[in-house]
Amino acid sequence: MHRFHRAPLVFLAVCLALCTAGAATAETPLRRATLEQLCEKSVGPRVEAVDRLLTATAAGEEDASWTFAILDAARSKGLHCGKDAVPLLKLEDGWRDAASLAPAEPPEQKMKPPFVNLKVRASLDMGAALSALLAAPGSAAAESGLGEIEKRPDRANSAVIAAATALSENAPFVDRLGSIQASLDLASEVPEDRIAAIDRIAENPSERNRTALLNLQAELGGKADPVTRDALDNAIAEIDGWIALGAVASTVYSGLSYASILFMASLGLAVIFGLMGVINLAQGEFIMIGAYATYAVQEALRAIAPGLLDWYLLIAIPIAFLITAGVGCAVEASVIRHLYRRPLMTLLATWAISLFLINSVQAIFGTQNLEFATPAFLGGGERLIADFIVTWNRLFAILFAALVFVAALLVLNRTQLGMYIRAVTENRDMAGCIGVSPRRVDLISFGIGSGLAGLAGLALSPIYNVNPTMGTNFIVDAFMIVVLGGVGNLYGTLIAALGVGMINVVIEPLYGAVAAKVIVLLLIIAVIQLRPEGLFAVKGRR
Amino acid sequence: MFDQLFSPPGSATRPAPPVAPLALLLAFLGLASILSGWTGIGPSPYFLNLIGQVAAFGMLAISLDLIWGYAGVLSLGHGLYFAIGGYLIAMHMVKVSYLLTSTPPDFMLFMGWDELPGYYAGLEWFPYTLLLIITISALVAFIFGFISFRSRVSGVYFAIISQALVYVAMLLFFRNDTGFGGNNGMTGFTEILGQPLGERATIAGLTGASLLAAAMALAVASRVVRSRYGHMLMAIRDDEPRLRFLGYETLWLKLGVWTLSAVIAAIAGMLYVPQVGIVNPRVLSPELSIEIAVWVAIGGRGTLVGAFLGAVLITTAKFILTAIAPDLWPFILSLLVLVVVVALPNGLFGSGETLRTRISQLATRRAARQAEGART
Amino acid sequence: MTLMKRRKFLKTSAAASVAALAAPALIARAQSGDTINLGCLFSSSGTMANIEGRMNAVVNMAAEELNAKGGVLGKTVEVMVTDPASDWPLYAQLGRQLLQQEKVAALFGCWTSVSRKSVLPVVEQNNGLLYYPLHFEGEENSKNVVYLNSPPSSSVLPALDYLMSEDGGEAKRFYMLGSDYVWPRTINKICKGYWTSKGFEESAWREEYVPFGFSNFQTLVNDIRQFASEPGGQPIIVLTVVGSSIPAFFKEIINQGIAATDIPILGLDVLEADLEGLDTAPMVGHLNCWAYLQNAEAPENDTFKEAWKSYVGGNSLPYSPETVIDPMVSAYDGVMLWAAAAEKAGTVEVDPMREAFPGLTFDGCPSGYDIAMTGENNYVSRGVFIGSVNDEQAFDILWQSDDQPTPVPFSPYA
Repeated sequence: MHRFHRAPLVFLAVCLALCTAGAATAETPLRRATLEQLCEKSVGPRVEAVDRLLTATAAGEEDASWTFAILDAARSKGLHCGKDAVPLLKLEDGWRDAASLAPAEPPEQKMKPPFVNLKVRASLDMGAALSALLAAPGSAAAESGLGEIEKRPDRANSAVIAAATALSENAPFVDRLGSIQASLDLASEVPEDRIAAIDRIAENPSERNRTALLNLQAELGGKADPVTRDALDNAIAEIDGWIALGAVASTVYSGLSYASILFMASLGLAVIFGLMGVINLAQGEFIMIGAYATYAVQEALRAIAPGLLDWYLLIAIPIAFLITAGVGCAVEASVIRHLYRRPLMTLLATWAISLFLINSVQAIFGTQNLEFATPAFLGGGERLIADFIVTWNRLFAILFAALVFVAALLVLNRTQLGMYIRAVTENRDMAGCIGVSPRRVDLISFGIGSGLAGLAGLALSPIYNVNPTMGTNFIVDAFMIVVLGGVGNLYGTLIAALGVGMINVVIEPLYGAVAAKVIVLLLIIAVIQLRPEGLFAVKGRR
Repeated sequence: MFDQLFSPPGSATRPAPPVAPLALLLAFLGLASILSGWTGIGPSPYFLNLIGQVAAFGMLAISLDLIWGYAGVLSLGHGLYFAIGGYLIAMHMVKVSYLLTSTPPDFMLFMGWDELPGYYAGLEWFPYTLLLIITISALVAFIFGFISFRSRVSGVYFAIISQALVYVAMLLFFRNDTGFGGNNGMTGFTEILGQPLGERATIAGLTGASLLAAAMALAVASRVVRSRYGHMLMAIRDDEPRLRFLGYETLWLKLGVWTLSAVIAAIAGMLYVPQVGIVNPRVLSPELSIEIAVWVAIGGRGTLVGAFLGAVLITTAKFILTAIAPDLWPFILSLLVLVVVVALPNGLFGSGETLRTRISQLATRRAARQAEGART
Repeated sequence: MTLMKRRKFLKTSAAASVAALAAPALIARAQSGDTINLGCLFSSSGTMANIEGRMNAVVNMAAEELNAKGGVLGKTVEVMVTDPASDWPLYAQLGRQLLQQEKVAALFGCWTSVSRKSVLPVVEQNNGLLYYPLHFEGEENSKNVVYLNSPPSSSVLPALDYLMSEDGGEAKRFYMLGSDYVWPRTINKICKGYWTSKGFEESAWREEYVPFGFSNFQTLVNDIRQFASEPGGQPIIVLTVVGSSIPAFFKEIINQGIAATDIPILGLDVLEADLEGLDTAPMVGHLNCWAYLQNAEAPENDTFKEAWKSYVGGNSLPYSPETVIDPMVSAYDGVMLWAAAAEKAGTVEVDPMREAFPGLTFDGCPSGYDIAMTGENNYVSRGVFIGSVNDEQAFDILWQSDDQPTPVPFSPYA
C-alpha cells in the first residue's frame, strides 16, 4: 500500500540542503577508500564499497548525509573521477570536493563519471535509498527511498534498517520498516523470529512475497518444525487469496481502462455517425488533431508559463475541443454539407479527408512520435491489493471518459441545442418545418462530434503514441462500438465499449491479444446478426 | 437516410453502360499480350506486368460493382475473397517450388516445421487449386451472405460487419502459427504451370490471362445485369421491402449475385499474386477494401465499365506517383476523390447526364437555401 | 451502336489508353550518360514512416558527399526516392520498377525483414543489388543482397552473454516479447537454442507475440510482472517488438513502475529514435545492442553527426537533427561501400561489382571501427556495441567489442 516514485533522482534537492549544512568536514581513510573504489571501472569493488559504507554508516562511523550525498551523486552521474585526481562531485550549484563536500574549483583535467551498469546501479540505488532513511529520517526523500527498498526488501542492509527503525523521526515508517525487516528475518536461524517474519509477510501479500515464502518452504523441506510449517502454509494460503482478489481487481481495472479508451474513441463517432448518419472515416484523424492540439498547448506553456506545465492536460481541454471542432466544422461546411443527400459519398469524402489530414500533419510536424511530459500527478501509480497497481494515467483516462460522457449527455438531453439536435435526428423535415435550421444544427452537431474526438486525443496522449497515423488504429474499433451499441444512443455506445473492453481483457491473458480481438469481432458480427440495428437501437432518421 | 447509400446515385433513365466494346478491347489486348509473349516483340516485361496487375484490380472492381452498383449491397470486405484466391494460388506455387527445389518456405524454417501443414495436400495440382479457389470463395461468401441476408442485416451494418470479417481474417493471417506465412506471407515463387515466373513469356502470358479474365468478367457481369435476374437485383437495390411484399424471396436473389461477385474477386486475386510475387495479410487490410470502393465510386457505380476504368486510373496513377512523387500522391488522390465526390457524383465514367443533373441539383439546392434563408 | 454509345466508348477508351500510355512515358525518364542512379526503398508513410523516412535523407546525403568529391567513376550519383508506404508487396513492386524501368545501379532499402523478403525475389530475378542496413535474423545469404548490419551471432548473442554474466546481473529467466513476424520469431528461436546449449530448461523462458502496431500492453506488462516475481532467478525481457509498439511498451513499463534494476529490457530494435517521444529518466539502464551508437567515441562520428545536422537544417527536413541511429549509419556505409566497389570494378554492372567485394573496406564508418567485406558471404564485418539507456534519450556505451567479429550468416542455434 505504498506509493512509488518514477524518478529516484528526486533526492538531489534534499542532498543540496544537506551538503550546504556542512555535514562533514574531514577526509577519513574510509572516505578515501570508498571514493577510490567507487571510481574503479570493474563492478565488484564498487558494490563492495557501497556495502561497507552502509554498514559503517549504520554503526555511526560515517556521517549518513555524506553517504547519501556520495551514493546519490554516483548513480546520477554526479561523481566525477579522473586519473590521479581527487574525485569531485558536480552538483547543480557547482563543483565540490567529494571527500569533504566543500566547494571546489572546476577540474582542469578531463574528469568523467564512471559508467554505472545495472548491477552497480542496483547497489547504488539501494544504498542511496537506505542512507536517505538515516540522513533525512522522516522526510519525503526517506519515504521515497522506502518505496525503492520495498521493491527488493531481501537486498536491504539489515543494519541500516535496524538503525533507521531506531530513529524517532522515522516513526511514521515503523510499520513499513518492520515489513522490510521481516523479509530479512526470513533467513533467520531462530525459529521464533522466522515465524514472526512469516506472519508479518503474510500481511503484505504480493507475488514476490509469495515466492519468498515458497523458496523458504523449499529450502526448509522436511526439516521444518510443525509450527513453522503451519505458519508457512497459512501464510501462503492467505497470500494466495489476496493475489486472486488482486488479479480480479487488476482485470476489472484493465477492462475499465480499455473500455474508456474505446468509449472516448467512439463517442464523437456516436454523434457524427450515430446521430447524423455521416460515415466519417476521418474520425481517427480528429482524434489525432486533438492530440496535436494538446501538444501545442504543452509547448506553448513550456515557452510562456513553465510553472503551469504540469497542468497542461487540463488547460488543453477547451483548446483541444475547440480546435478539433473548428476543423470538423470546416470539413462539414466545405465538403460534408454537399453530401447529406448522398451519404455514400460521405464515406469516400471522409476517407479522402483522412488521407489529406494525415499527410498534411506529416508534412508539417514530421512523422516522429510527439513527446509529452507526464505531469507529476499522472506518473506511476498506487499498489492497492497484492500486485494490483492503479496507474494514474489510466485512472485519468477513465475519469475523463466518465466526465465527458456526463457532459455530452447533459448537452444532448438538457439544453435547447441538444433538443434541436435530437429533433433533427428524429425527423429532419419536421424539425425544419417548426423553425429549426437543420443546416445549422448539422454544422453544430458535426462540430461537437469532432470536438469530442479531439478530447479523445487529449485523453489518449499520456497513454498512446502520438503521431500522424495514430488515428487509423481507432477507426475500425470505433465503428464496431457504435454499431454494436446501436446508432443514435450514447448509452448503447457506453455499454458496448464496456462490454468489449471487459471481454477483451478477460480473453487476452488466456489466448493472446490477437485471439482476443478476433473473438470480440466475431462476437460483434454475431450480435449484429441477432440484432441487425445494434444492441440498443433507437428509431432515428433513416 | 442510410437507404440512400444503397440506392442509385443517378436517375432511372441512365443510358446502359457500353460494356461490349471494352470487353472486346480487353480480349483483344489479352490475345495481343499472349502473342507478344510468344514472339518476344512488344512492351517491356515490366510494362506488361503492370498492365496485368492493373487488369486484375479492374476485375476486382467489377466484382464489387456487381453487388454494390446493381444489388445495392456495399461490401467493405471484398479483399477477403481477393485474398482467398491470392493465398490459394500462392500455396500452390509454394508447394510446387518446395517439391521442385526442396527448399522449404521461410515460415517453415522459422516455425521449426519439418513439413507443410496437412491442408497443403494436393495443392501442387493446379486444377485442384482452381477448384478450391472457386469453391472456398463461394462457400465463404455463401455462408456469410446467408446468415447476414437472412437476418436482414443490410445497408451500412452489412458494410461494417463485412469490414469486421476481413479485419478478423487479417488478424488471423498475421499469426504465424496458421501456416500461411504470417506477416511475411508467401513469396519466392519460382514457376507457374511449369513456366518460370521471371521469363518475359510467362509475364506476358499472365498479363494476357488477366486481361482475358477481366473481359470475361465484364461479359458475364453485363449478361447478368441485363437479364431478368439483373432487373430483380436492381429492384432489390431500389426497394427491397416492396419486392418482398410482392412475394419474391430476396435472400436467394442476393445470395446468388453475392457469391458470383466473390468468385470473380477470388479469380482476380489468383491472377494478381503470381504477378506481384508476394501475398501477405495486407491484402486483407480494411484500407484495401475501402480502396476498392473508392475505385468503383470514382469510376462510376452501377456501370461496370466505370468501375473497371476507375480501378485502372487510380492504380496506374498510384504506380507512377509512388515512384516519382511519393510525397504528392496522397494529396493528389485525396483531392481527386473530393473533386469527384463534390462535382461528379456519378463518377468520372458514369452517366453522360452527370453534369446536367449536377447543375440542376445545384440550382434546386440554391433555391432551397434561399427559401430557408427567407424563412429564418 | 447509337451515337451516344459510340461517343461514350470513344471517351472511355481514350481515357483508358491515356492512362495506360502515360505510364511508361512518365516512368521512363532517360538515363543520361553522366549520372548513375541509386534507388531507395524506405517508407515515408505508414507504420514504419517514423524511423524509415529519415533513411531516404541519409542516402541522399551520402550521395551528395560522393558528388562533392567528384562522383563515382566520374559520374554524378543521383538518388531516386520512392514511398512503399509500409506496404510489403509495394516494396517488391517499386523494387521491380526501379530495377527494370529506372535501371538503377543499386537499391538501398528495407527495414523490416518482411519487406526484405518481399524484395528478395525481385533483386534475384533481375540480378540487382540490394544494400540492406538493418541488423536482422540472419539465416539468409543471397548473392544479390549486401547485408550491411550484423546477424544475431555478432549482436544478440554477445548482449545475452553480457546479461547472463556476473556483471550484467546473472540473468536466469527470459521473457521474450516480439511482434509476430519472421525477425522476432527467428531471433527467439536462436535465443532458445542458445539457452538450451547453456543448460537452461524450457521453463526458464516465456514467449509472447503481438500483432504489428499493437499498443495496448497493460495486460502483457501485468503478465511480465507476474513472470518476474516467480522463483528461479533474475528475469530479463528480450524485446523484439518493432515500430510504434516500442514506445507504447516502454510507456506501460514506466507506468507500472518497473525499472531496469528490477527487470532489465534488452530491446533489440530499440534505437535513439524510439526514445524521442519518451521521458527516459525512469528507463535508465535498459539495454540494446547495435553496430553503432550515437555516443560512439570516434572523430568520424562527430563529423557524421555534424553533417547530418547541417543536412537536416539545410533541407529543412522533418527529422530530428540531433538523432543519429545505427541503420542510418549502415545505409551511409552502404553507399560508401557501393562506391568503393564501383571504383574497384570500374563499372556499376552487378557481376563485376560482386567480384570486387572481397577485401573491400571502408574506414570512415562513424562507429569508429573499420568495416570490411570478406568475400565469403555478402555480410559486412563491423564492431558491436551494447548500449544502456541514459536520461538524455540516448544510449551510453556499456560495452563495445575489441575488434570486428566475423559475421556468421547461419546460426548453429537456429
